[in-house]
Amino acid sequence: MTFRMKLMATAAGAFLSAAAAVAGPQTVEGPGANPTCFAPWDKSTAYLKWEARDGPFRVAVVNGFVGNTWRIQMIKTAKAFAQDSTIADKISEFKVVSTGTDAPAQLGAIEDFINQGFDAIITIAVSPDGFDRVIRLADRNDVVLVPFDNVLDTDKVMQVNEDQLAMGRAYATHVLGELAKIGKTSGKVLEVRGLAGNSVDRDRSIGINSVLDESGGDWERISVVGNWDDGTAQKVVADAIAVHGEFDAILAQGGTTGVVRAMLDAGHPMVPVSGEAENGFRKLMAEHADEGLKGISIGQSPGLVAIAMKAAISALEGNPMPQLISVPLPMATYDELEDGKNFWTDLPDNFFTVNEFPPCDVNISGPAIMAQDEADLN
Amino acid sequence: MLSRLASAIGRNWGFTGALLLFAALFIGYHMLHPRGFSTAVFIQNANESVVIGFLAMAQTVPVLMRGLDLSVGAVMTLTNTIASHVVTGTPVQMIGGMVLTLVAGTGFGLMNGLIVVYGRIQPIIATLATGAVASGMALLIRPSPGGDISSDLNWALTNAIFDFAETLGFAEGGNAAWLQPIANIPVPLVIMFVFGICVWVPFKRTVTGRTVYAVGSAEGAAYMSGLPVSRAKIAAFTLAGYFAGCAGLYLAIQTSSGNADINQAGAYTLNSIAAVVLGGTSLLGGVGGAIGSLIGAGILRTISFYFRILSIDPLMQSLIEGLVLLAAVSIGALRTFRVKNTLELFR
Repeated sequence: MTFRMKLMATAAGAFLSAAAAVAGPQTVEGPGANPTCFAPWDKSTAYLKWEARDGPFRVAVVNGFVGNTWRIQMIKTAKAFAQDSTIADKISEFKVVSTGTDAPAQLGAIEDFINQGFDAIITIAVSPDGFDRVIRLADRNDVVLVPFDNVLDTDKVMQVNEDQLAMGRAYATHVLGELAKIGKTSGKVLEVRGLAGNSVDRDRSIGINSVLDESGGDWERISVVGNWDDGTAQKVVADAIAVHGEFDAILAQGGTTGVVRAMLDAGHPMVPVSGEAENGFRKLMAEHADEGLKGISIGQSPGLVAIAMKAAISALEGNPMPQLISVPLPMATYDELEDGKNFWTDLPDNFFTVNEFPPCDVNISGPAIMAQDEADLN
Repeated sequence: MLSRLASAIGRNWGFTGALLLFAALFIGYHMLHPRGFSTAVFIQNANESVVIGFLAMAQTVPVLMRGLDLSVGAVMTLTNTIASHVVTGTPVQMIGGMVLTLVAGTGFGLMNGLIVVYGRIQPIIATLATGAVASGMALLIRPSPGGDISSDLNWALTNAIFDFAETLGFAEGGNAAWLQPIANIPVPLVIMFVFGICVWVPFKRTVTGRTVYAVGSAEGAAYMSGLPVSRAKIAAFTLAGYFAGCAGLYLAIQTSSGNADINQAGAYTLNSIAAVVLGGTSLLGGVGGAIGSLIGAGILRTISFYFRILSIDPLMQSLIEGLVLLAAVSIGALRTFRVKNTLELFR
């Protein structure tokens, strides 16, 4: 026993001193690789560069909470993309675990994959703080850690997200544009907000309201909270219509299928609506666009996981990468909808339609994701 | 000597079974792991298990006296948010902050005990309510995640003793000869031992501690025998609060921050009950102990470790974890086949 302990001690000592020699990424000058896909967040975004190494690589995804459509679709997308011909030969091993809303378990899973010698670990953080230890370990072991979607409050790791503020602005810009076409430059609008206290909800709302402010029009604003959930949104919009009467436009940021259903149920005239990328919303928009539902659909895509995987591999190949990557907003307006291309009448309403990012060569279609058979994917 | 050991095993069937199961799972995991049996992996395992370990100990004490404490997860979250504010500044201030955090947890437990004993409310209902209070306070203290706990403190306490000495700059930066025999022991295990086991074992041997067991076996008999029943109940909840405070403090140090995550609080409360049962403590009270619950927490964690080694479909993991847990608990129930008097099944 003592001999083995000593052996372990020596091995660990050697490991620690070797690990201390490497110190993670270097900060370098831009531009980075493939800038149309890996766009820097803004002008001040720094670039990180890891030492190039030979593939194929071992990649793990450490998800937190699992149990809503978005997360399940994200996991399916990750597995589908790992087998995509553009990337399959660069990945030698691919693992996905979900730890639930348990910070120590998520940190532990990341640390375990670092210990196992994985090259890149992609994660949706359960908390914006608290990852100091695994960031330090990842740097010591030259592992590329890529948080996406729920990103961390740090500039020490490479992260991938969509610009939520820009999304909010795009929602309002489109809706005001449609209103201007029919000669309305002032009126009454309904804002349907997301989960309170969440930074995504905050940023989208700021974006929406700043465009309303800048338009100079006299907008009467009613705000309700729909929690990005179809059921909740349908209820609160029905209540708002009952109390406030007709709106000139509805600025939703999620649960949009429910928003439009509430309008249909109440016999509310079809007006411009902004919303997320739910399949149900796009189906309804395609159906009712002629009656005035001239909306826009932009979404936080579960396909972000594919961009994060691609970014991780690009970093492992030694390319300079922006520290914070802004993924182009996948948007579709009412006149761009095409069944079988950016929405699917044969897929469920709660399917998230946006999965394709042409600049990034990420082209996994909806049916391809839904066709994933979980049993034989390992 | 052997017969004494055999008799000890016979009397602690649940604990022995848990220990064997844990050993089998843990050794199996390390054999499959590419870097198995290395310090780095032991440290990772220990780090991940400390919080649930403390919480399982917290849950054990009320369960031993036939109660349930549904507030342990919330108290952990509350103390986690407190620690994220007070464990800052100079080393002395940090230690003061740690003491304050533990006092807050212990105080909350004491309040639970007083409500149960003098309010004469069932523990499960009383702690359901106080747990909600603790969650609410946590949200008030930290509406959004954050906090600024020193990353050196985080590094020192989540690594091996060597790194602890290196970070704090004593024992020649961890290279002193006298430190070498223990240099690779994970600090989290030392913390579990000092703040967990070294508090539990002496407590168990006091009259109050033994009364906790007696109340769980037969409250009426304990009362008629003149045992301090009220004191034992208050002490049980107070100790639960203390252990939950330890969990919250370690969570804050481990994540360098505080987060009033209510979902996490609920999940940890339920997992603490699972760990208690896995560790051989009877939910009917009177049988078991906190060290068994530590082993139970270890089993719970080790099962999830396997998902990182084996290729199991991510959407199936939860189902498989549940099935393994069910199987593990069923092994514990096998002893009912050996019961000579069926009346024993009713306790």
